[in-house]
Amino acid sequence: MNTRIIRDIPFNLVEGDLEVSIEYGDGRVTDAWSAGTLYRGFENLMKGRGPLDGLVMTPRICGICSTTHLFAAARALDAIAGLTPPDNAVRVRNVALMAEHVQSDVRQSVLMYMAAFAHPAHAGHPLYDEALRRYAPAAGSSAIDAIRETKRVLEVVAILGGQWPHSSFMVPGGIAFAPSQANLLQCQQLVGAYRAWYERRVLGCPIERWREVDSRAALDVWLAESSAHRDSETGFLLRFGRAAGLDAIGAGPNAFLSYGSLDLPQETAVVAQTRQLVAAGFARGNAVAAFDAAGIAEDVSHAWYRNHGTLHPAAGETDPYASAQEGRAYSWIKAPRYAGQAVETGPLAEAVIDGRPLFADIVSAGRTSALARQLARLTRPATLLPAMEIWLQELIEDHGAPIIVGDGQVPDGEGAGLLQAARGALGHWVRIENGRIARYQVITPTAWNGSPRDATGQRGAWEEAILGTPVANPDNPIEAGHVIRSFDPCLVCAVHTVRRRV
Amino acid sequence: MALNLYWMQAGSCGGDTFSFLGSEKPDVPTLMQGLDVNLLWHPSLSNVSAPEHKRLLDSLDDGTTSLDLLVVEGAVLRGPAGTGMFDARGGRPRKDLVVALARRARYVIALGTCASFGGFGVAGEIDATGLQFTRAEHGGLLGQDFRAGSGLPVVNLAGCPCHHDVLGGTLMALLAGAELALDEYQRPLDWYGTMVHQGCTRNEYHEYRVEEEAFGEKGCLFFHMGCQGPLTGGPCNKHLWNQRSSKTRVGVPCFGCTSPEFPADSPFFATRNIEGIPLALPKGVKRAHYMAYKAMAAAAAPERLKTRSTEV
Repeated sequence: MNTRIIRDIPFNLVEGDLEVSIEYGDGRVTDAWSAGTLYRGFENLMKGRGPLDGLVMTPRICGICSTTHLFAAARALDAIAGLTPPDNAVRVRNVALMAEHVQSDVRQSVLMYMAAFAHPAHAGHPLYDEALRRYAPAAGSSAIDAIRETKRVLEVVAILGGQWPHSSFMVPGGIAFAPSQANLLQCQQLVGAYRAWYERRVLGCPIERWREVDSRAALDVWLAESSAHRDSETGFLLRFGRAAGLDAIGAGPNAFLSYGSLDLPQETAVVAQTRQLVAAGFARGNAVAAFDAAGIAEDVSHAWYRNHGTLHPAAGETDPYASAQEGRAYSWIKAPRYAGQAVETGPLAEAVIDGRPLFADIVSAGRTSALARQLARLTRPATLLPAMEIWLQELIEDHGAPIIVGDGQVPDGEGAGLLQAARGALGHWVRIENGRIARYQVITPTAWNGSPRDATGQRGAWEEAILGTPVANPDNPIEAGHVIRSFDPCLVCAVHTVRRRV
Repeated sequence: MALNLYWMQAGSCGGDTFSFLGSEKPDVPTLMQGLDVNLLWHPSLSNVSAPEHKRLLDSLDDGTTSLDLLVVEGAVLRGPAGTGMFDARGGRPRKDLVVALARRARYVIALGTCASFGGFGVAGEIDATGLQFTRAEHGGLLGQDFRAGSGLPVVNLAGCPCHHDVLGGTLMALLAGAELALDEYQRPLDWYGTMVHQGCTRNEYHEYRVEEEAFGEKGCLFFHMGCQGPLTGGPCNKHLWNQRSSKTRVGVPCFGCTSPEFPADSPFFATRNIEGIPLALPKGVKRAHYMAYKAMAAAAAPERLKTRSTEV
């Protein structure tokens, strides 16, 4: 087989800077190396700062999931102070995070993932003209629609938290201010309007109908059922994706991780399998096991850091060093592993670990693919919007109940804030000593999904996923792009998942 | 004729892009269409393959494609040791591309505090700088004397992130040929010439010095909670965020994010003070005057504020 290596291919339509080198032979990707090319050193900036400063600094790690970083920072401080936020604070925090998620899932799908369907390289695809009409950047009908609707649902975060992105309204023990009844009614109206649009344009059916889609066969029935289903964003994703073969590429490591997210209030009508709306777990295929945070460790054998061994983030060390592991290192992203295993995290992992039947069926049949991963993302709001409506209703009914416990101060100690960002598992590990931050460590979803190799040679999730992908033009490997984008890469986050010895 | 816009992200979180997408007056598609802006490149939003992008950069470099607007989001990273390789593309430091494009552009816009002043990491190992300032020091990456093709220096649209309506407003002004009055930090006065404090719904509490000392109260955040609103130029309480609110309205202090010194080294959520009066007073106010005024104001505070029965 003749192979050649094409280096440093930059991929657009993602958040941040991503370059991938691929080895190519016989029309397929035969190997891959994914590089984060930006190092911002955020965690180092935290050292020595005030104990609450993570609430201001860490949202600035990421412009698309700033609320998630805020939430992780607040959870870490809750843990250190031993505080359990009151029910209404839990509800407000959850609703704000979910508003960010339902925005992100649609924006990434329409403005980034499906925008790539409108590239001239797809000109021979039978649905290309329609893709162009829908997804041309800032001009296609779906793109314009998505920009207008997603910014409206973010008004919910502004009402509850002052602004989006980059607010700091979650504080130790709760939130900084109780929204008024009028505020909450406005949020209810915004979520209701977004749900109506999401059902009409993104699903093409009521959420209740979508939830009946419980297998691959039921998905085919759903797609054939009506033109509203086929013309929706979900329907178009399936039609274009299948015709382009996206259901046959991008399998990945077949191991899935979720930290769990969205704690249920003590009293609530929202029903879930655990005390969280999104369950924690680790799955090989669709065999789900309990998640234990002690199983997380980071390897730097192929990253530009001095190697101090494979360590848990609460005990880890980081020395950025551009000449480290000479000849092997190729990324500023470290390689987090769970029980030694490279995993994927994100909406598909959540669906598998939650045991949602459609995705359990896809995974158990060995049909994990770029298309399945993207379908899980685009349809995740169907699992979030109904709970948002219930929590807003409960906030209105319980208006006036406490929104914070404690005095807003955080003593010396150590704690972690783990939850699910739009892209998957996010953790902050914090230690406070003598009233100052002594260590601040972050592992982002893209560190999991976009990691380089580890010491055993195990590839990161999307490096693994693009192996075998057929590529028509190796100088413009659009097929590999579809696979990598199905992980919703967020390099602005991942590039500073770096820690420093303190 | 369409105006070519090249948008690049350097040491960035992408937050200015996502803030801009929240623009309402007008929204982004309407703005781009109305001003006939041709988005040559945006890393997250434009549908241009790697080989096409390379050809585009070559044509910008040799002048066959004109560059009307260069928007830079994020700090320019000079570390480690001045190489710029903490932010590389294709094995070369991105800072070199910033310089090359800035020399070709009719207007250069630094979007956000990182691009304007360096922001996060100025003092850190990444050696961050803004395009024409490093914090409050004039110079930055491009130097004090830099002028874009139009004759304007870098236009600094500060904020972390930049408020969503500011970029659209600035583009409208530039493309209409209107004079864009800038302050000493090259920020347009239309948005940075007002204080964040102005329009805050807690202003009555400030006026009569009724103070918030713990999260969740009604009161002014200036005296104990670290609010920088009276010292910070910005439109946050004049043009509300996401059409709805602002941080100070929901009990979160202003962190001074449009300032060249953001992020400050001292802890957030705390006001450094002497005898209960903040060390840093509202911009331009003398301490003796302020102490006399606040003592009288506190004495004159009405019951409805002292009992915090007036909503914010």
